[in-house]
Amino acid sequence: MTFEPKIVGFLCNWCSYTGADLAGTSRIHYAPNVSVIRVMCSARIDPTFVLKALKDGADGVLICGCHPGDCHYTEGNYKIMRRFPLLKKLLADYGIENDRVRLEWVSASEGQRFADVVNDMTERVRALGPSPVKTDLATDMAER
Amino acid sequence: MNEPKIGVYVCNCGTNIAKVVDCDAVIEAAASLPGVEVARPYKYMCSNPGQEMIAADIEEHGLNRVVVAACSPRMHEPTFRKALQKAGVNPYFLEMANIREQCSWVHDEPVAATGKAKALTRAAVLRVAKHEPLERRSVDMCPNTLVMGGGISGMSGALDLADAGGKVYIVERDDHLGGNVARVDLTAPYLDSARDMLTERITRVVEHPNIEVLLESEVEAVEGFVGNFQARIRSKVDGGVSDQTVDVGSVIVATGYQEFDAARVTHFGYGKLPNVITSFELERMLREGRLVTKEGGAPQYVAIVHCVGSRTLEFHTYCSRVCCMTALKYAHEVKAAIPGCYVSDIYIDMHAFGKGHEDFYRRSAEVKTLFLMYEKNDCPVIRKAGPEDDCEMLIEVNETLSGETIEIPADLVILMVGMEAREDSAEVCRLVNISQDKDGWFIESHPKLDPVATTTDGIYIAGTCAAPKDIPDTVAQARAAAARIMGRIAKGKIEIEAVFAEVDEDFCSGCRMCNELCPYSAIEYDDEKKRSHVISALCKACGACVAACPSGAIKARHFTDQQIFAEIEGVLA
Repeated sequence: MTFEPKIVGFLCNWCSYTGADLAGTSRIHYAPNVSVIRVMCSARIDPTFVLKALKDGADGVLICGCHPGDCHYTEGNYKIMRRFPLLKKLLADYGIENDRVRLEWVSASEGQRFADVVNDMTERVRALGPSPVKTDLATDMAER
Repeated sequence: MNEPKIGVYVCNCGTNIAKVVDCDAVIEAAASLPGVEVARPYKYMCSNPGQEMIAADIEEHGLNRVVVAACSPRMHEPTFRKALQKAGVNPYFLEMANIREQCSWVHDEPVAATGKAKALTRAAVLRVAKHEPLERRSVDMCPNTLVMGGGISGMSGALDLADAGGKVYIVERDDHLGGNVARVDLTAPYLDSARDMLTERITRVVEHPNIEVLLESEVEAVEGFVGNFQARIRSKVDGGVSDQTVDVGSVIVATGYQEFDAARVTHFGYGKLPNVITSFELERMLREGRLVTKEGGAPQYVAIVHCVGSRTLEFHTYCSRVCCMTALKYAHEVKAAIPGCYVSDIYIDMHAFGKGHEDFYRRSAEVKTLFLMYEKNDCPVIRKAGPEDDCEMLIEVNETLSGETIEIPADLVILMVGMEAREDSAEVCRLVNISQDKDGWFIESHPKLDPVATTTDGIYIAGTCAAPKDIPDTVAQARAAAARIMGRIAKGKIEIEAVFAEVDEDFCSGCRMCNELCPYSAIEYDDEKKRSHVISALCKACGACVAACPSGAIKARHFTDQQIFAEIEGVLA
């Protein structure tokens, strides 16, 4: 049986969540592995959300926001854009592979792109196998 | 707070959800979750019986929270919030699980889709248990309106608002009103004078006691929120500038378009052949009543070329909508000015979609216009004629309908340049916080159902800043925007969203990191208390400050850490 990764998606309300809805209204089929949590802006995504998801058993985390320059709140996506590399550095220290946590831009009109991102992400995380660190991280966090 | 008593409702949406997702299995899984009192399926939750079912359960089981697993919250969250409110439960005690757009419509394997629907519903149940009651507040609606742009669109919207009793400020960059229509001679398809039409508008606007026209002025900043904006306007006066700030409740953006620069197209010889001119250059001659070539003589042959810069992958892919009828108008106007002049009209497709347009097309053929059709990617070639020819230029057209290559004479070639978004439209977007599409046009709140509002409440768009359109459509959109604003003014109050950020001053260290971060300048620093606080009416609830606060002192109402953590636990359990 192939491994089915569990991926948590954090999507901004205005572009990416709407884009994901558009994939639905356009009946564009894609992998069922990503469950979406809606936030108003990608800038709301606190790095602890990602850590929490990994700790609770996510094999991957997908963050989607408006394309640079298109943010409903003018510049929120630039904030996650700057925050993200720091988070990735931290995750690398935890031994979490690069492909498990991903930041992508999906606009409200890009239903197809959302589907493509989900499919690609699912494939890559599937290839990595189950998250090796979820238990490690849990112990680590509990000790702190 | 009482213990959560949650009702879970799973919508079949006819067969939209039920044909892929096993709704009974979702119900069964939800029923065993902590706090869930009742869990029921229904064929259409959004229908009246569906909503009444929720109300009846609230009454009977004393439910204090509700989860509806159905379509996207972007679709029916307001519907179910209202249903809760009607039943006496705070509307923010609702959470929706999106099992249609993001599940049944995108997955075809029932086991996996049902598993995902269960996870999303579980996340909603765990989340709703953490919800807090929120109250919407209402503030007074300022009856004044700012209109950016004094063209036909801005003036038409302004007049309706002013007639209804509201004060209107029209801010116009130029030293006169009228916009692009002021550059036009006659209008299609009835050949009425644009000047007459404008004069009526301008006279009424200028004389209207409720309208203040600010010429040679620009809007520098718009702050505040729906019903309560403050607009800073800079006007040129006697070589200097003067600033003023006005209070307005709404803004109509009617900044219009700019013409496509014909020099960007190289193959028509614009800028090289002196008698290749643009449609606006011809309008100028027509308005002055002097239709001549650069050499000063009356042209014997006039050729009109359509779609310059429009409907091409190279420049603009869209159709500019007005050029076809304007081209036909030129056929009439040229013939009227110079009887016996030969007019040829070289087009790709004739777009005669509007009221009276097909008849106008037929009448244009009756005045002996020679119509030549060319293929999109096979543009006519214009060259200087030789000394033996009785014309200035020769145009070679691979004519589609006859299948032949035809050479036609021309003394004057008119390029039908399309409309494009103004160069500085991105600045306007930033000013009033609205968005542009890929072509630079301003985006409406809904392309079909809400074509005058934008994603920023209180900011409306009208006319050609939103997309190419003709005068009737422009005026209709402007007056629709005015009507929307009047509705709000009549109501007198604005409901403010209950979702915003708030600072817990006990935890705030006064580091001021959030102050600069906020794109709306909604966070103020209190020098005495050495603490920051959020001006809730200005906050748009993006949550950027919440994630950035090093002390965890800022709470995003309705998107709290606890609520999102619960959701994470729910999708992963």
